[in-house]
Amino acid sequence: MEKRTFSEKFDAFMMKDNTFILLVMGAAASIFAGTYLFVKFGTGAFNEISIVAMLTDGMSSGDYAAAAGFAAGFLIARILEGPLVGLMDIGGSLMTGVGIGIPAVFLSMGWKFPFSNFFAALLVGAVIGIVIGVVLIIIRKVVPEGMTVGGTSIMMGAGNAVGRYLAPLIVVAATQYNVFAGIGAIVGAAIFYKWGKEMTGGAILGAMILGAIFL
Amino acid sequence: MLEIILYSLIIGAVGGGCIAAGAARMFHAPEVQAMGSFRTLGEMNACNGDPIAHFSFGLGFFFSSAASAVAAGALTQDVFHRIVTNWGAAVLLLKNRNMEETVWNPRKMMLAGSAVGAVVVVFLNTMSQLIPEKLSLIAKNVLTPATGWLINPVMPAIFWLAAVDAGKVVGIWGTVLGGVSALISGNAVPGIVLGILIGKSAEENGYKSRMVQILIGIVVIMFVAIAYFRGFFGKFVIGS
Repeated sequence: MEKRTFSEKFDAFMMKDNTFILLVMGAAASIFAGTYLFVKFGTGAFNEISIVAMLTDGMSSGDYAAAAGFAAGFLIARILEGPLVGLMDIGGSLMTGVGIGIPAVFLSMGWKFPFSNFFAALLVGAVIGIVIGVVLIIIRKVVPEGMTVGGTSIMMGAGNAVGRYLAPLIVVAATQYNVFAGIGAIVGAAIFYKWGKEMTGGAILGAMILGAIFL
Repeated sequence: MLEIILYSLIIGAVGGGCIAAGAARMFHAPEVQAMGSFRTLGEMNACNGDPIAHFSFGLGFFFSSAASAVAAGALTQDVFHRIVTNWGAAVLLLKNRNMEETVWNPRKMMLAGSAVGAVVVVFLNTMSQLIPEKLSLIAKNVLTPATGWLINPVMPAIFWLAAVDAGKVVGIWGTVLGGVSALISGNAVPGIVLGILIGKSAEENGYKSRMVQILIGIVVIMFVAIAYFRGFFGKFVIGS
């Protein structure tokens, strides 16, 4: 029998179905820890401004229903869909579900442990990842072929549309806040639009730059 | 500051590695369970094994991620979705142009993704921390009202219309659950999302399907629980 090198063995290991559980574990741990970083230091959440805003909104008002419900919907849909198509969408399941929804649920229950320190967050994230990975593999083995989970494309479409609304809203908010910030937001949005970049970023950066000079 | 760099390093290395490996498995799906997204798969195929294409594609998203990180501390989904995967691929392709031996190989992608992830996440997080207090105050004053409007009522309207446009079954589930959700939780979006999920699954598999029944069961229990804990049932008492 031919002796295989370590790399070859590792390659084979990386292609196993069950290795998927480990990959989800690592990804979920880091994304959850990213949210911990955001809660603690105000930076590091792995999601779009519009979705992270739901979590921040909950943190200031104490009402996490929007974040938890929205993200849980995506999480459930993606976990059911993932094994059926052989590809789990990490945006909906991990970044929105694990990164926003599950933290929102924990925070609303008043469970502080996951956010007490970095390694607690990493650990809780890893456990969540293992659970998701195991559930996915079980569904993959159990569910007969031909089953479909519908609706994810509709949700994705609406989700993407939401991001588009943010840029105009930011410009409006900037104009109401301060005249310099408003002008900056308008110019920034126009320039980013011209460049074909996300207008949201341009509007905020413009407002920040002109605001910094004149305020 | 040191804390943030250290944590970002761990987060980027672990997450980047795992997600890049999951992305490499996308090329073997559905035989192998992968993770990533169809979008990313299509985009990576479009780059056609050219390291420059992969790099510049990632770079475009890197700039918008940086803007978002500076503005609100939100690194965007693109960091793991697109930057880590495409830059990881670019690094591997520099040495070997054969896609099957590099980008399709989860082990190699894991190593490359882990390195790229660590660097990118550390960079974005330190950059957003270096922003002066005054700037983040302006960003906050602009962002808070804008995102508030977005969450309610813009988002409910968008999701509601998306549900209604997706046919009668989905539309009715979305409308009813969205309305109930607005009543008991103050925001219609969670209900509409679940309504779309149930409506579409019911349309495709029928109400006899075990999965649809379980879904409906979960949603009903969830809503009753939320309503109970938020004291919703007390609102029915007239004069209270």
